[in-house]
Amino acid sequence: MDFDLTDEQATIRRAVAELAAKFDDQYWADKDAAHEFPTEFYRAFADGGWLGITIPEEYGGHGFGITEASLLLEEVAASGGGMNAASSMHLSIFGMHPVIVHGSDELKRENLPRIVTGDLHVCFGVTEPGAGLDTTRITTFARRDGSDYIINGRKVWISKALESEKILLLTRTTRFEDVSRKTEGLTLFLTDLDRDHVDIRPIRKMGRNAVSSNELFIDDLRVPAAHRVGEEGQGFRYILDGLNPERMLIAAEALGLGRAALRRAVRYGNEREVFGRPIGKNQGLQFPLADSLARLDAAELALRKATWLYDHGRPCAREANTAKYLCADAAFQAADRALQTHGGMGYAEEYHVARYFREARLLRIAPLSQEMVLNYLGEHVLGLPRSY
Amino acid sequence: MQWSLSEEQSAYRQALRDWLGDVAPTEAVRGWLDAADHTTFTKRFVADGFWGVGVAEDLGGQGGGLVELALTAEELGRHAAPSASWLATLLAVPALAAAPAARAEVLAGAGAALLVAAESIVPGPVPVTVDDAGRVSGTVPRVLAGGEARFLVVPARGAAGMTLRLVEATDPGVRLARRELLDRSRSVADVVLSDAASEPLAVAAGEVLAQAANRAAVLVAADSLGATERMLELAVAYSGQRRQFGVPIGSFQAVKHAAATIMVGVEAARSVIYLAAASVHGGDPRAVLHAAAAKAQVTAEGARAADTALTLHGAIGYTWEHDLHLFYKRAKLDEWLFGSPTAWNEVLADALALA
Repeated sequence: MDFDLTDEQATIRRAVAELAAKFDDQYWADKDAAHEFPTEFYRAFADGGWLGITIPEEYGGHGFGITEASLLLEEVAASGGGMNAASSMHLSIFGMHPVIVHGSDELKRENLPRIVTGDLHVCFGVTEPGAGLDTTRITTFARRDGSDYIINGRKVWISKALESEKILLLTRTTRFEDVSRKTEGLTLFLTDLDRDHVDIRPIRKMGRNAVSSNELFIDDLRVPAAHRVGEEGQGFRYILDGLNPERMLIAAEALGLGRAALRRAVRYGNEREVFGRPIGKNQGLQFPLADSLARLDAAELALRKATWLYDHGRPCAREANTAKYLCADAAFQAADRALQTHGGMGYAEEYHVARYFREARLLRIAPLSQEMVLNYLGEHVLGLPRSY
Repeated sequence: MQWSLSEEQSAYRQALRDWLGDVAPTEAVRGWLDAADHTTFTKRFVADGFWGVGVAEDLGGQGGGLVELALTAEELGRHAAPSASWLATLLAVPALAAAPAARAEVLAGAGAALLVAAESIVPGPVPVTVDDAGRVSGTVPRVLAGGEARFLVVPARGAAGMTLRLVEATDPGVRLARRELLDRSRSVADVVLSDAASEPLAVAAGEVLAQAANRAAVLVAADSLGATERMLELAVAYSGQRRQFGVPIGSFQAVKHAAATIMVGVEAARSVIYLAAASVHGGDPRAVLHAAAAKAQVTAEGARAADTALTLHGAIGYTWEHDLHLFYKRAKLDEWLFGSPTAWNEVLADALALA
C-alpha cells in the first residue's frame, strides 16, 4: 500500500492552497453577508487554469482524475472559503462529466473550452419540488416540436442558477406513467438558461450565501435537438454515472471545511485564556477537538480510497457513499465543536466558525441526505431489503 | 406544578433504605447470589413487613400504591437485592382481586408470578390454551421468578377468548426449568404446563394485563434508577481515591463530565418515574405514554450509565472483586426486562399520529 500523493498531486495541493490563501476569511465573510458571487476568486482559479482540471486536454483542460479534483476542492474549502468557494466552481470541475462521456463533438467543442476559461457558468438542473430524491418522478417535460423541444416544468435547489448562462437540465420526454421501466424516458440537455422563459427565484437560506440556490419556473423553453446530451430517453443513466464522483467531491469539500473549522478551534483554544490558562487546557474542550481530528483523518482515508478506485476504473459506489457519509459527519461535528470552543464568540460572525457551522450543516443534507447514503449501503452493499 | 413525596412516603423510603443497609449489604447479597439463594432475602422481606406495602388494604395489603412500589423498587435496585419474587408477585396481585384465598397466601409470602416471558411487554405472546375442563397447556419461557412462586397467574386462550387462570405451582401438570441469568440477583424459569388444573380468575383479563404492563414498566425503570444512582456513588468515590499522574482521577474534566452526565440521567429518571407512577396509579388517560417514556428512557440511560461507570472504574470495575458488577448487570437486565426501550418506543410511536 502506498499512502503518498504523487509529486503531481502534491504540487496541485500546494499550488491550490497558495492561490486560495489569497482570499482570506474576511473576503468570504463579506461575500456571504452580501450574497455576492465570489467573482474575483472564481476568476483567479479560472486564470490559473484550474477549472479545467478534469476536462480532456483536447478541449483545453488537464485531463486529471477525481483524485486531483478532490484535492483541489478540499484545499479550496480548507482555505476558509468553505462551501462558498467550492460551490462557485464545483460544477465546472466535474459537472460536465455526462457531456464529456455522452455528448456530441459539437456540444463539447462549443462548451468545454469555455468552461475551462471560466467564461461559461453552468448549473445542474435535476431536483424538483414534487420528486425530491426520487429522481425518476420528475415531471419537467420536453415535448418534441420539429427539430426542437419545448420544455415546461419546475426545478428547485438549483445552485448557482442566478449566475449561470447554461443549465444541464434533466427532463422527461416520456411520462412516468408511459414507460415500462421508471428509469427510461428521461432526457438530458445542456442548454441556455433563457431568462425570457425561465424565471429564477433565489431561495432565502441559512448559509452558503455567496452562491445562490434557486427555484426555476420553466415556461415554454425552446431547445434545439443539438443541445441534447446523448440519446433521447437515456438521461437517467448519464446522470447516474456522475453520482459517485459528485459524492466524492462533496466529501472532499466537507473534509476541507472540517479542517478549516478545526484549525480555528485549535487557534482559539491556545489563545483564549480563562481562569488563568488557555481554554485548550480543559479536557472538556481538548478531547472533542482531538476526537474530531481522528474522525477527519479516518474520513480522509475513506475518501482517498474512493477516488483511487474511481480513477483506476474500479467499482466505487460503496466507498464513495461511505466517504460522503463520514466526511459530512466529521465536518459537521468539527464545526459544531469549533463553535462550542469559541463560546459566545463562536456565535459572532467575527470568528468565522458560525459561517463554517452553517455550511457544514448543509453537507448532511446535500447533495443527498445521510439517510439516503445508509439506504444505499443497507440495500446494495449489505443486501438488506429496500427500506423506502 | 409541584409534586413531591409525602412525609409518609419519605419516611418509608428512609426506613426501607436503612433496613436494606442492615439486612442486604453487598457482602450479604454476594453470599445469596453465590449460593443461588433468593428465598432467605424474600423471607426477611416478608417477615419485616415490606411485602404488602403498595397493596391496598382492602386487598389485604398495607396500603399505598404504585408510588410506594416504585420507591421500593428503587431501593431494591440500589442494593441489588434478589427481588425477582417481590416484583413478580406485585405484578400478579391485581389479577387475584377476586381470589381472596390465594391472595391471602400470596401476601403472606407464598409468592405469585404472571406467566409471561420476562423480556415481553405484558402479556407478550400467549402460548397457553385452556380446555373446557379448565386444564391448561403450553410452554412459557423465561418467567420472572417462575421457580419461586406458589401460584401462577396464567393468561390463556380458550373458547371464551383470552382469560386469566390460576394454577398452583405444585400441580403435577407444572414443570419448571430454571435458567441462569447474567444478573444473578434476579431469576427466571421456563414453565411447561401439561393439562395442569386451573381455576378461573374473575377479572377483566385485558385490563388487568394492560395495567400490569404499565406497572412493570414503571417498577423496572425505578429499579434501574436505584442501580444507576448506586453506580454513580461508587464511581465518584473511586475517582476521589484513585490517583494517576499524581492527582485523583476525579480531577480530570473528562471524568467529572462523565459522572455529571450520569447525574443528569438520574435526575431526569426520577422526574419521569414518579410522574409515571402517580399517573398509572391514578388511571390518567396518558398513563401508558408516561410508563412507556419512563421504561424506554430510564432503562436505556441506565444501561449507558453502567458502561460509563465501568469506564470510570477502569479495570477494577471489570472484576468481581469490586461491587460495581452487581449493579452493572442489574441495569443491563433492566434495559430488557418487560420490554426493551425499542419496544416501548414503538408504543410511543403508535400513540403519535405517524403513518
